[in-house]
Amino acid sequence: MAGAPHDSITRKLTRMNMLVSAAALVIACAAFMAYDLASFREGILYDLSIQAQIIGSNSTSALLFDDPQSATTTLSALKAAPNIVSAGIYTPDGRPFATYWRDRESQIPALPPIPMGRAEAHWSKDKAVVLVRSITFKGKPAGIVYIQSDLQRLNARLQRYMVIAAIVLAASLLAALLVSSIFQRSTAEPIMHLAAIANAVSSDKNYSVRANPTGSRDELAVLVEAFNEMLEQIQTRDRALRDAQNELEERVEERTNQLTAANKELEAFSYSVSHDLRAPLRGIEGFSQILLDEFGDKLDEQGKKYLHRIRAGSQRMESLIDDLLNLSRVTRGEIHTARLDISGMARSVATDLQKTQPEREVEFRIEDGLETKADPGLLRIVLENLLSNAWKFTSKRPSACIEFGKIDHNGTAAFFVSDDGAGFDPAYADRLFGPFQRLHAMADFPGTGVGLATVQRVIQRHGGHIWAESAVGSGATFYFTLAATTREEEKL
Amino acid sequence: MHRDRIAPRIRAFWRKFVLYSRLSAAFLAAVFLVPTLSAQQTKPGEYAVKATYLYNFARFVEWPVGVTAARGDSFAICVLGRDPFGRALDSTLAGEAIDGKPVVAKRISKPEDAASCRILFISPSEDTRLKDILPAIDKTGVLTVSDMPQFSRRGGMIQFVLEGNKVRFEVNLTNARDAGLTLSSELLKVAVTVRRNSEPGD
Repeated sequence: MAGAPHDSITRKLTRMNMLVSAAALVIACAAFMAYDLASFREGILYDLSIQAQIIGSNSTSALLFDDPQSATTTLSALKAAPNIVSAGIYTPDGRPFATYWRDRESQIPALPPIPMGRAEAHWSKDKAVVLVRSITFKGKPAGIVYIQSDLQRLNARLQRYMVIAAIVLAASLLAALLVSSIFQRSTAEPIMHLAAIANAVSSDKNYSVRANPTGSRDELAVLVEAFNEMLEQIQTRDRALRDAQNELEERVEERTNQLTAANKELEAFSYSVSHDLRAPLRGIEGFSQILLDEFGDKLDEQGKKYLHRIRAGSQRMESLIDDLLNLSRVTRGEIHTARLDISGMARSVATDLQKTQPEREVEFRIEDGLETKADPGLLRIVLENLLSNAWKFTSKRPSACIEFGKIDHNGTAAFFVSDDGAGFDPAYADRLFGPFQRLHAMADFPGTGVGLATVQRVIQRHGGHIWAESAVGSGATFYFTLAATTREEEKL
Repeated sequence: MHRDRIAPRIRAFWRKFVLYSRLSAAFLAAVFLVPTLSAQQTKPGEYAVKATYLYNFARFVEWPVGVTAARGDSFAICVLGRDPFGRALDSTLAGEAIDGKPVVAKRISKPEDAASCRILFISPSEDTRLKDILPAIDKTGVLTVSDMPQFSRRGGMIQFVLEGNKVRFEVNLTNARDAGLTLSSELLKVAVTVRRNSEPGD
């Protein structure tokens, strides 16, 4: 994993160096060669032109006095120039007059025409240059010189160039290789080091490592510095985050402890208050009874009426205290859940209710076979409260129907108790479960207003939820879920 | 034989050749004609060639400044004695010029008249009178040319000779120099013989 990028960046740099130097050299060599060969060829042509002029002016008399022998002698001087393959002199009307051959006698080629208005023409002819020049003597054409040179010198020069270019190319590639290996230390190595560090950081989540400074003041040094600074910042931020979290946890714990303590104190206070209120109340109750029994005949009707008021008030206060103690107990006691027959429990509560007012015509529709897991004592309090509420709020009707069952509410099982009694205004639905909250006049439906608060406390302690639906005059339905029930249902 | 122009002769022979080769399938006829044709080509008329050479000499010889200035507006090539050129000389020189002066052909009968000439061709008919002629034109800057035998040894400057059927020439450099004439080395190069009077055997 560390080897591959190592090779890659080094090789890339080296390859780039080599390619750049090779390209520059090849282009430079090609340009030099092209220029030199072109000027060399020009030089050859220039030499040929001069040779042709010399031959021309030396053969004028031979041409004019028809002496080919003399012309041939003049031409044979070309032996000194080894590049001249053949040469010839023609009469102005194009007849061959004298010829010269370097290697062997051969046919003199037909004279190509010189373009009009020019004294000289040249062209390339398979590996040779041909130059033709007309000879004029005192303004009149005397003949034509033809001269052909091979390009051996040019080719030799080209070959020499090729060899030199190859040597230079090889040498400079070697130099580029050396230079790139030196530069690699200052360029590639810091990058590789940085890559390794970055890799370590991302794989080990170790932000304490640092890249080594390069020691120079280039972009790489800036990169390394910025990278290190970034790591530093990450570390600082991490530390701050951890500190903040720790502090928060401590504070939460502290607050929880404070809250728990305050809550316990409050509960203890409310329990003892409720409990201690009972003793004086019993006194009031007991002595008002004695007063009524022993001295009832001494009191007039008005006095008796007041005494009854005192007794009703103290009885109401007692039931209030009972309810408060109940609520307190529900809140404080531990929960011991068990599997239980909720249908049977509801039926038992219903039977008890019917016994209190056997004259009422109330139909209980209780769904059979419902089971759940809950604290039996607490669940009974829930059912007692809900069913007795239903019993109470249907009391104004000649006949009533109270229902208990189970429905599916958004995927969770919910139990419900519904009646066709007085109902309540749904605008106050959120106030139903607060303690001492009452939506009906005491004269219509007596009650302490603590029952539903108790129910809600129990449901909450079971991890469930309770809510109600109703409209004035068309009955009410109370739904509740129990976390245990839900889990149980899901298993099934 | 009158040969004023070379080309018409060649053309005539060519036509003849074509005609013959077309008319007759006989090989012999062709063989017979070809040598005739080539002979005519290399020798287009001896005096026509000599006329051309006379003109060419003019281009390779330098006259003294005095002579160039004194001898009028034309460049005269003179013939002394019986004219062997016929019309060949006139037609060769027609329209030609040397150093901007028109070249003209003149026939003279007395050596004294040669003073106005640049080149003097002494006809072979004057062979016997040569001894009198040459002193008469001595030192006058006239290039003497002739085809009479031994001309270059007898005080002449350029002598035509025949080599095979080719017209060549001999030069006597001393005689030319005595007359103040400079002969180009190019001219000497194509001469058959270049004589100097001091040479042994002259």
